[in-house]
Amino acid sequence: MKRTLILSAAIAGLLAASVYAFADIAKPKPSPAARQPVFYTGLTVTTDAKSYEARLQISQETLKRIQEAAARNGEDLSMTQRIVHSSSRTMIAGVFMFLAVSFAGVWFARSKQRRPHKVFASVLLVAIVLGVATVLVRANAGPPGYIRWQNLPQALKDGKATSGGVDIEIVPGDDNIKLIIPLRKS
Amino acid sequence: MERAENIGVATWSRRSTRDRAGISTRSFAAILIIAACLSAAIASWLPLQASIVTVFLFAGPHNWFEARYFLMRLPARFGRSRNFFVLAFAGIGGLTAAYMSLPVLYYTNVWSAANWPDLIAGWNTMMLLWISALVLIRGRQKAQRDWFWIIPTACVLCSLNWLGPELFSLAIVYVHPLVALWFLERHLQRTKPEWLVVYRRCLMILPLLVLGMLWQLSRSPSLNDDNGLFWRITQHAGAQLLPSVSSHMLVSTHVFLEMMHYGVWIVALPLIGATGAIWNVKTIPIASHSRGFPKLICAFLICGLLAVAGLWAGFSANYTLTRDIYFTVAMAHVLAEAPFLLRMV
Repeated sequence: MKRTLILSAAIAGLLAASVYAFADIAKPKPSPAARQPVFYTGLTVTTDAKSYEARLQISQETLKRIQEAAARNGEDLSMTQRIVHSSSRTMIAGVFMFLAVSFAGVWFARSKQRRPHKVFASVLLVAIVLGVATVLVRANAGPPGYIRWQNLPQALKDGKATSGGVDIEIVPGDDNIKLIIPLRKS
Repeated sequence: MERAENIGVATWSRRSTRDRAGISTRSFAAILIIAACLSAAIASWLPLQASIVTVFLFAGPHNWFEARYFLMRLPARFGRSRNFFVLAFAGIGGLTAAYMSLPVLYYTNVWSAANWPDLIAGWNTMMLLWISALVLIRGRQKAQRDWFWIIPTACVLCSLNWLGPELFSLAIVYVHPLVALWFLERHLQRTKPEWLVVYRRCLMILPLLVLGMLWQLSRSPSLNDDNGLFWRITQHAGAQLLPSVSSHMLVSTHVFLEMMHYGVWIVALPLIGATGAIWNVKTIPIASHSRGFPKLICAFLICGLLAVAGLWAGFSANYTLTRDIYFTVAMAHVLAEAPFLLRMV
């Protein structure tokens, strides 16, 4: 009993101290607002020895989609962005996931005596297969976008085309169209 | 006195259905396959037009047939199922009222648009918890069955719902038409078991058709939704939530599933006698029972027919507005399917 009381007091003390520790955290500096891409599409950079002027060719359909995306001001969030957009919703989702795992454990314990072990072995096997598959899927994730642009200088010299993804951003001001290629020094 | 637990036996008359549906198993399979292929072709070819025509013609009648079918499955006396039905009707009423109030909250700016997904997630959670409670109650009535698995399953679904509330709602839009196929399966199991194997084999063609549609239409250009009606149809199919997916593919898939849904309720189930003779209320337990309400049921069905006619008139006068109202109010029939399907499981 005495030991429990001491442990409880120690835990309560630690919890109380954590409040002060939180209070000592400096207020975060407001970070500059990151520029939000309004649209993602593909881009091909190619050369033409016969042309006198650089040309930017946009298909009608792509232009229409860019206009629509610009009108929405980049509110077309991707699925991942939607999920990470709201921390409160993510927390509630986490609570439900915790409850799901907990209740699944209760169900497993309740039905262990009644159901054949083969069923649980099958479920476990499926879970392992799915887990391994997830690892494989992640391993098969595409390379980062800048990889596609690494050979651009050489391709330009050789007169070959290079294709990759491009985020279209609407920036303030009246400057020329700017293409920023993510070339990394090797 | 007819008890709820006996209602299945009382109304699943094999003889009458055999007499009514005088078609062979092969004919049944052929009708199913031809109907599915034809629906997929029309939905892929003219998705917007097919959506307009399908909803105009069949939305109201399918609700009427569905209501009549549910009345047939409703026991005259609830008996041991009282709690189940009380919760079922309270849920249908409460959730439908809450769903109908969502547009009101939106247009009156009572709820911030930024937090709109929270509201949708809350409603979806309530619906999932309601269905879980129904499953648990139903599970208690089944001997040798432990339906406790519904709780972790519901929690997983709630979690997914809170991660993407709008996507979860969109999933309901696509999953709901398939519930009709489950109803048909349960009904065949009891009244036409000899058709069941063929039916299940025929169902395997559905994913193939859907995959074929997705493969064929995934690269097709998005539909021109420059007018209010076309925009609503594409939004209903999820074009705004999935901007990188061709709206043609989304609308076609949704229209195909809707056509199958309407086909089951208006053609397949009446064909095998599941709804009884539509003009005969004696096939409805709460009307035919000695302490039943035949006049009330008659009035309800006649009012339903008038509502169908009213819906057609509304579609003719202002299709867009009527469609919006219909799909809001029609949430009631989506919810009603859950308890009645559970009664058949």
